[in-house]
Amino acid sequence: MPAPAAEASDEDLAAQAAAGDEPAFEALVRRYQHRAYRLAARLLGGEAEVPDTLQEAFLGVYRSLRSFRGEARFSTWFFRVVTNAALMRRRAWRRRPTQSLEAFLPSFDAEGTHAAEPAALEAAAHVEERLDREALARHARAGIERLPDLYREAFVLRDLEEMTTVEVAELLGVGADVVRQRVHRARLMLRGYLGDLGAKR
Amino acid sequence: MTPRVVCADGAGLLMDYLEDLLPPDVRAGIDAHLRQCRRCVAFVTSYRETPRILRSATAAVMPAAAEEALHRFLAGRRR
Repeated sequence: MPAPAAEASDEDLAAQAAAGDEPAFEALVRRYQHRAYRLAARLLGGEAEVPDTLQEAFLGVYRSLRSFRGEARFSTWFFRVVTNAALMRRRAWRRRPTQSLEAFLPSFDAEGTHAAEPAALEAAAHVEERLDREALARHARAGIERLPDLYREAFVLRDLEEMTTVEVAELLGVGADVVRQRVHRARLMLRGYLGDLGAKR
Repeated sequence: MTPRVVCADGAGLLMDYLEDLLPPDVRAGIDAHLRQCRRCVAFVTSYRETPRILRSATAAVMPAAAEEALHRFLAGRRR
């Protein structure tokens, strides 16, 4: 007898759903929908297109469950489907050029010493004290939108969704070193961007 | 001998430093630099906080209406 949905592993539920067990699929959707929503909102820079993206992603999962053979963890496979749905949607956008965050990278003098003073270098850590929650959320989304696409994807998956470097590498189809380099560059840019917001007010 | 590190070196290696992925001599060089550089201490503080602040600021919660709509949509497509 199959395990009740609440106790069954993702992989068991996926196998049951692939065999036509509708409640098993329903249980998988309920298990993953909130995290999928948050991930898609982060990759899309807002919530407006998230419902359509999730419809596509979950329908894609439903239709290709039989091709999920359990070689990868279900979660990795599932988040790849959601990530791809969000990235495809972004690619269809007519993009307005965004202002690069390069200017927010740290700067150094000829000896390699930080050009800025300690208070300015620490300002990003205090941005929550300077902006209300709503303003910070708006600026955070806008800043992440200004990252180059490849940095944004790696940063969202690794630092915001807290996947491991190995999981992100597998999901994006690149090496772990590449993920680390992209995440590090994204952090450097966003640190400077938040510092600028914190220092201005 | 511990290699001499300047701020720019440390900034480039910071992710690996914080995740303890550097060779011991390189790590020791950064530790020694951090003990005498207030700028880098401030920089490390803000670098560490950046992901946490942005994670908290961008944590969207799925509205109940979106959840209902998703289930309605999927039920309709599976028939």
